[in-house]
This record gives sequence, structure tokens and C-alpha cells, in this order.
Amino acid sequence: MICAAEPPVVRADDVDQLVVGVGLLGSGGGGDAAAFGRVLRNRLGDGELSLHAPGDLPGAVVVPSGIVGATSVFTEKLPGGHEFVGACAAVARWTGREPTAVIGLEAGGINGITALVAALDLALPFVDADLMGRALPRLDQLTWAARGLAVTPCALCEPNGQIVLIADADPAALERTARSFLPVAGGWAAIALPPTDVGPGTREAVTGSAARALALGRAHATLPSTPPPDLVEDVLGARVLATGRVLEVARHGGNGGFGRGSVTVVDGEAGTVVRLETENEFLLAIADGVPVAACPDLLCLLDRRTAAPLGVDRLRTGDEVLVVVLPGPSWWRHPDVLPRVAPEAFGLCCPPVLFGDA
Amino acid sequence: MTGGTGPGLPLRAMLEHPSWREVAVLAGVRAVDRPLTGAVVVPDLRAHPPELHGALLAIVLSEDRTDWRLDAVLARAAVAGAGAVLVAGTAAVRRSTQALADRVGLTLLGAVDPLAAQASLTSMLSEPRMAQADTVLRVVTACRLAGPSVEDVLDELGRVLHRPAALLDASASLIAGTPVLSDGEAAQVVARLTARSVALPGDVRTHLSGGAVLVAHPLAATGRTSWLAVRLSAAVQTEIDAVTAAVAVAAEAVRERLALIRLQLERDAHRRTSLLAELVRSPDAVPVSTRRRALDMGWHLDGWHTGIRIGPRREVDLADLRADVEAALAAEHLAPVVVEQGDGWSVWTTAEREPTAVEVARHAAAVRRAQRRLADTVETYVGVGRVHAGPSGIAHSLAEAGDAARLAQNRAETGRFLHVDRLGLAQLLLAWTRTDTFQPAAQALLAPLDHEAGDLVRTLASYLDNESSVAETAAVLGVHRNTVAARVARIQQVLGVDLSDADERLALHLACRTATPATSPVVGTRRPAR
Repeated sequence: MICAAEPPVVRADDVDQLVVGVGLLGSGGGGDAAAFGRVLRNRLGDGELSLHAPGDLPGAVVVPSGIVGATSVFTEKLPGGHEFVGACAAVARWTGREPTAVIGLEAGGINGITALVAALDLALPFVDADLMGRALPRLDQLTWAARGLAVTPCALCEPNGQIVLIADADPAALERTARSFLPVAGGWAAIALPPTDVGPGTREAVTGSAARALALGRAHATLPSTPPPDLVEDVLGARVLATGRVLEVARHGGNGGFGRGSVTVVDGEAGTVVRLETENEFLLAIADGVPVAACPDLLCLLDRRTAAPLGVDRLRTGDEVLVVVLPGPSWWRHPDVLPRVAPEAFGLCCPPVLFGDA
Repeated sequence: MTGGTGPGLPLRAMLEHPSWREVAVLAGVRAVDRPLTGAVVVPDLRAHPPELHGALLAIVLSEDRTDWRLDAVLARAAVAGAGAVLVAGTAAVRRSTQALADRVGLTLLGAVDPLAAQASLTSMLSEPRMAQADTVLRVVTACRLAGPSVEDVLDELGRVLHRPAALLDASASLIAGTPVLSDGEAAQVVARLTARSVALPGDVRTHLSGGAVLVAHPLAATGRTSWLAVRLSAAVQTEIDAVTAAVAVAAEAVRERLALIRLQLERDAHRRTSLLAELVRSPDAVPVSTRRRALDMGWHLDGWHTGIRIGPRREVDLADLRADVEAALAAEHLAPVVVEQGDGWSVWTTAEREPTAVEVARHAAAVRRAQRRLADTVETYVGVGRVHAGPSGIAHSLAEAGDAARLAQNRAETGRFLHVDRLGLAQLLLAWTRTDTFQPAAQALLAPLDHEAGDLVRTLASYLDNESSVAETAAVLGVHRNTVAARVARIQQVLGVDLSDADERLALHLACRTATPATSPVVGTRRPAR
């Protein structure tokens, strides 16, 4: 394994750009990372956190860490600071393996930040790898789950201190059990998956997401106010599907799952009607009745003026937006795992239309 | 296509068609003028339609209309050249779908039963004759089962055709049924109906504004040119043809109803007329059988009767308008018996006790108002008799009323209304001179004067009116008194009469009244108050 000479680092000054970057990886979901960004900035202080490549720490035992639950509750029920430590300690005690490094659970939204905070809380190095590479709604959509790695024993620690450990559950059962704990927990909890050797653990993971978020955020910061669409395409490596006004935001309850809906944007110039099917994230874009982009690529709505990524739950009719699509993590493009995150996985009867294909 | 419908049926017209009354436009209303050339049925939103060439794409299975695939189908249908897209259910669709429908220029329709709507379109396109035959058959059945009145037939016709149906008179006014014309359309229709009924009696189709068509069929059998009419808004040719055939069928049913009603009217009128004739024939000794029939008819022979004679100023159908006469009187709170007699109606009202003078006056005033009310239907002249008691009173009062009516006929200044209580004996006398026997005699009496020079008849009338005063007559006529004297002398000579003889003078005076009714004042300067 050839190691990079200097791993990228995150300093307090980078947090704002990192927040924008994880917002883009969130694809409209994953929660607003700004609040946790402030936590991270606080933790960093004058210091810095290296984003290590897996090869930097051979022999390490990595623990995937993050939070699960209602991201909107997170800004009201603040973390106490012990959640990540509690969850990791529980899973370490159950498995008898002490983690020596932290990797991310999810790269998009809040969890793009939490793993860094967890690393600081645990005083462990951070390996820039995660189990989603973007934001995804369910625990059975982890890369480990897709490739058959164990996702339990797994520990949940909620802000009031309760710790729940789930063992011997398959990914679907883990999703169900963890989800049923969250209402009791008050909305969200920190989660730690079983500590795993860095080799297999990061092989079946998306690597470099944090660095990508940081790079995206830095590029984004160069955009002027109300940037022209082609500049956005160039700077973010994205494709702009429409520039215009939100015509309709329709939301309806899902069948026992997350709320479903659709957002329609009409391009101001061409008149193209772009409809985005949503769950927690933007899942599918249909332009004039033809699917043009889909999960796992990153569908984002950017504020027309600031180009800041907008969450699904924050959209209102009349918003002026850019509809853009960025390439999703290439890990999910493998045919054996693609069905896990393709539109069909969300009940949308449409083959995945991936960046570069359309 | 055999129905002459051109390249497809306009979607807008189909939307107006009864078989599509439950089809709603969900999106893309701007494209409703596109023609539909056919229909292609697909099961669900996953369908990839073939080339459609303007055909309707009908998606028969009901699906979640918030599904993005509805948008996708719209896009595919537009690419395939659909005329419109029809889905199951009429609930509203997403605004994204609406925006897309407008963008691709395609109308999205919803129907509870898309298959039925599709079948109807196909039938109208490919088998217009079948559609017509079906319509006619249904109208035949409906007419056979309809109730006894004309309204029943119109209701059934409207129900089967899902279009308003009405009976119109020659001026296109509504006689019965549902309004089929809006304001301002009547003139156009009347012009069409008049021109057509004169030239060639038959169906008349009038194309109204907004693509609407009025199909009218004449009902010549009623004696008046009334029309059975059905309005089609934005109709397709197939439906116009079908409705035209159906209206002709329904017209027969209407005629039959009218004839039966007529027959009943005539029968009743005959019974009333003959019963009244019996009463009048023997007013003082009404036979028991006649009394019995009068009772059956609801006539009260006892009590105090006031006869009213109502004559129409133009020739009308007495039996037909009897109900109007009755209604006009009833509207003034009179309870009349109305009998068609001669060239008018003999009417009387009956009071249980003898009316006071005030009541008589009030009664007459009510009849007067009824006459004015009736003027909407027919202009009449009316005479009212005095109050008489008992079975004979009917005949007596009616006789007086008849005399008064005869007088009233030519007296526009009294509104062609006279009440015997207000008439002098002289006027009644005069009225008697207007009989069929006296009038020819009077004219024969004065006939020799017509061939003489000078205005002899007028001079004679004026001379007698002015108490045989030559000076007064000269002043009235504006001639010299010697002229008058000479004329009077010549009149006596020509007619061979002696004007100093009272009897001859009276006869000539009456004759003058009869011969010159319109020009001379009937009762001198005294005009009865109304």
C-alpha cells in the first residue's frame, strides 16, 4: 500500500466548507450539518484532524460511528458529549476488541461531521472511510451489509445515557430494532458498529468521502452569488438539470416508512418540468417525463442565490433553485450492490440512471 | 369513416358528448381542440404505447396518480403522437403533471370507467350508424314508456339524449321542457324555422354560437307550427345525425300526446257546451237529468249567478285556450265555470247569497283585471251580465252578458269591456239591432242612398242624432243648412219614407247605427264610465 505523503487535515476554518460538502453528499437528506459543524469547530479549537487513508494505519481496528434518528430533533436535543464514547465502549466491551481508529457511518449530512467529532471524543485517529459514501436512510443500506459483513453487535447510546446493544441481528432486523428504540430514546442516538480490522473494514467501504466533501465545499466557496449554471457545473463537477422556481412540493406519508413526496421545478428558460421523487433524500429526477438522474448519484437542489444545498424538508413552493446532479460514490455502482440503493430499493419503479449514462 | 366526421372527432366535442359526461379534464386543457382519430388501450402506466397518430391513449387500470410514471406516460404518449391520454379516476393530479401536460401539449383526461369512454369514442368513430341506431332505439323505448303528458316525453328524451329538449312555438318561445336557447339566439332560430317551414317542412338544424347546434322537428299536426327541439353544445356530426333521427321519432310521440290531450279537451268541451245549451233552452224548468249532469260537472245551479261573456278578438282554438281563461279568472280569485260556446266562452260565477252593489262592482273589476291578464295570451272583449238567481239566472245573466260583449267588441275606449249594470236600456236595444237578421235588413233599407250623390247616409244619421234639427246637422257636417234640407228631402224621396212618422224615424235611426258603427258615436255624448 502506497501512502500519501500528507493526509488532508481539517481545521476549524474548514468547517463551514465541510458543512457545505457534506450537504452536497447528503443529496437533500442526512440532516442539516451546520449545528454539528459548530460542535466540531469547538472540538477542533486550534488543532487539526487528519483524514487518514486506510493504508496510513495498518493493523488498526476501526469502529464505524455516527448517529441515527431524527436529524431535525438533533438541533433541539443537543448531544451531551458522551454518546460516541458510550456507544464505542459498549460495543468494545461486548466484542472484546478495543477500536484504534474511527471511520464514518455515513458521509452525507450530519453524519459527515459526527464521525470526526467521535474521533476527537474518543481521541482516536480518523480514517477517511464510511459505510455509505453519501446519505442513505436505512441501516440495511450500509456497504458492509451489502457485502455481507456483520453489522452487529452494535451499540446505541442516547443523550440521556441509555445504552442499547443489539447483537446477532441481520441488517434488516438491525434497522427495525434500532428504529424502534429511537422514539424511546427521544429521537436520536449515537451508534457504533462492531470494531473491525481496517483491511476488510475499509475494503467494503467508501473511502475518501470526507476529503471529497472538503474539496466540494472549498470549490463551492469559490462560486459567486447567483452563479451561472455552467459555472456550477464546472466548479462542482455537476450537471445542472434545471434552473428555476419550485412549482410544487407534495408530501405524503410513506407506507410505514419515511415520508414520501415529490418536488417539481420548472426551468425558467427552457420550461423543462423537472420532477424529483423524494424520501429523506432526492431519489429520482424526471425531466419532461423522462428519468434523467437517480440515486445513488447525488441529486441536489441548490439555492439559486447562494448555491447552498437545500434539504428535502426545507423546500417550499416558490423557492428559486438549481437542480443539479453530482456523481455518487462509485462503490455503489457495482452491479451486485447497486440494487440496494437504486430507485427500486425505495419502491420507485425505475432503473437507475447514473451520471455519465444519461 | 362513414359518418362524414372528417379526420377524427375534436376532443372538445367528445367532452360535450353525453357518453363522455363523466370524463374530466385533469390537465392540459389548452390542447382540447385536438382531434381524436381513434383509441388505443393499454393496461397501466408501465405501457410503452405504439405510434398513436392522434389516437386517444386509454390507461385502464387505476393507479396512484401521484406516481411519477403518470408523467412518464404523458411524455411517451406525446412522443408517440397521442391525441389525448385517458386515465382511470377523476381525482386531481399533481401540478407537475399539469405543467408537463401543458408543456407537451397533451390533454390528460380522467374517467371512472375509461374503457366505456374509450368504447364510446371508438364506436362513434368507426360505427356512426350503430351509434345512431342505438340512440334511436333508446328514444323509441323511452317514448313508449313515458307518461301521458308532453312534458313526460320531453323529460325522457332529455334523459336519454343527455341534452335539453323542449317544445318551442313558432317564435321559438319555450312552451314546455328545458330551456334550449339563450337570450339572443331566438331571433336566429326563428328566422331559420320560418324560412324552412315555408320552403320545405322537415328537420331544421341551426348552428349557434360556440359550436352548439339546435335540432328542431316540426309538429305540424298541432295546427300551429310548434317545434320539438334539442340543443347540442359542441356536438360531433355523429351525434347530430343520431339526435336528428331520434327527435323525429320523439316528435311522433309528442304528436300522439297532443292529439290525445286534444281529444280529451274536445270531449269535455262538447259535454259542457251541450249541457249549457240545455240549461239555456229551458231556463225555468230544468229537467232533473240535466240538473244531475250539472251536479256531476260541479255546477251550482242554485245561488246567484253572474254571467260573463268573453270573446276572442281573433280566431283562436277555444278548447285549447279554455284553461288560460280559467286560470286568468282564478288568478283574480273568481271561481268560474267556463264553457266554450259559439265564438267565445260563456262564463259564470255563482254566489250563495245575493251580492251587494259593492260586491257586484268588485266582481266586475276582478273580471276586468282577468281580461287584462288574459291579454298576454289573447285579446278579448268581455261583457258582464247582471246578477240573477236560480237555474234560470244562468241563462238570463249570460244573455245580458252576451249583449254587453257584443257592444264591447267595438268599444276600444272602454277597453272592450262592458258591464250591463252600467248600460242604459238604449244600448241594449241597440245591441239587439246587431243581430244577424236585423243587420242585412238595415243595410237593405239604406242601400238606395249609397247610389246617390252627397253624403246621404251620414247626413241622415246626423239629422236623426240631432233631433231632426237642420241647423244643428249643418253645423255638425259643416255644410249650409239649405244643403241639409235638400238632402233630407232627397232622402225621403229616394227611400220613400216620411221622417215625421215616429216608427219610420226609429227604424231609420237604428239602421243608421248599424250601418255606420265605426264612425258615429253609439250613444251620443254620454260615455259609460268604466
